[in-house]
Amino acid sequence: MYYYIVDPQKISQRHFDQVQNILYSSVSEYRISGETARVTGLRTINQLVETALARGVKTLVAVGTDETLHEVINAVKGREVIIGFIPLLRTELGEILGLGDIEHSAKTIGLRRVAELDLAQVNSNFFLSNLTFGALPAGPLSGLGYKTLKNLFGMPTFQIKFTADNNDFSATLSAVGGIVVNSRATGSESSQMFNPTDGVLDVVLLPKLNRFRTFRYRREILTGRFEAIPGSSLIHVRQMEITTPAGLPLRVDGKIVARTPAQISVLPQALKIIVGRDRKF
Amino acid sequence: MAKIQEFAETIVSSSMRIEGELKSAGNIKIDGIVNGKVQTAQDLIIGPNAQIDADLIAGNATVAGAVKGNVMVKGALVILETGKIVGNVSCASLGIREGAYFSGACKMAEPKSPINASESN
Repeated sequence: MYYYIVDPQKISQRHFDQVQNILYSSVSEYRISGETARVTGLRTINQLVETALARGVKTLVAVGTDETLHEVINAVKGREVIIGFIPLLRTELGEILGLGDIEHSAKTIGLRRVAELDLAQVNSNFFLSNLTFGALPAGPLSGLGYKTLKNLFGMPTFQIKFTADNNDFSATLSAVGGIVVNSRATGSESSQMFNPTDGVLDVVLLPKLNRFRTFRYRREILTGRFEAIPGSSLIHVRQMEITTPAGLPLRVDGKIVARTPAQISVLPQALKIIVGRDRKF
Repeated sequence: MAKIQEFAETIVSSSMRIEGELKSAGNIKIDGIVNGKVQTAQDLIIGPNAQIDADLIAGNATVAGAVKGNVMVKGALVILETGKIVGNVSCASLGIREGAYFSGACKMAEPKSPINASESN
């Protein structure tokens, strides 16, 4: 049985009515009909997930943005259920999972290609894509102009200290920010990196860039290929604890989910999710 | 001689300092400071500004920075002009550029074809 959690966040009412019509016709066409519940101020994603699981739902489908999917994953808290995703806008997780528009995503759910993906965890929060801190802004970089990038990458550096893999090593460095990647839409030179099935997290720490270098590497910045910027550090961990600086906000989908000191780790193959043929891993 | 790949899956930048054991399944490039141990089955590149106080284990290695520790390489070890190794090395093939510094013992694998004494005369 399918249970659709529809989150109209970031969509206007007029557009949402159209979206809902397409959604209903698609789920009926691909024979994946089920119960639909809309997220409101009084019915949170947490409550809807609890209702669905109490009814013995086997497939929970998040309909909305990456934030919606992350909230559903967090509400499920590792319980045995298959998750599907129908992005209402073009989203990074949609791209990673190989999902297109509503119709394509519904068709993908109908095909039920279930993958077991790694889930990353920061303190008690789970994430499938990435976690950012420091200079990296809330939201996608792709729409930012050169002036904003120059300001972000020209910010003063700060000292970051962390231990990794249960104290196998500790590291100290100066950076303007960083990103802990479980999965990402942009490719890399190695298919083994930024892959949500490899059981590791890829950590990129960003150097301060002057105006010239910001301009020169703007393409790498805008596409999120930070490891290609000279002066960046790239390491791979199963577990890390960022200890310094204290109180540094850690963000997923632009939302602060924790502050340092924080434990970040990967739970291999902890998420059962329906993926498309064009997935990025 | 095995070709050292440019692409590194682990990069320790010049502003980074690592204490402990750094392991990777892929290529490693170090431009910063490492104290402890570095291990990879692939290629290891030590940049000119790197300062390593660690034992190194790698498939192939190119050293352009300062290394204090033993270096065990399965394939080729190349010490570039700016490279400095204080420690014992073990490798299948060794290249030392003019200007490089190496102080220690060197142990190499037996060549596949036996060395003919008459050829060397």
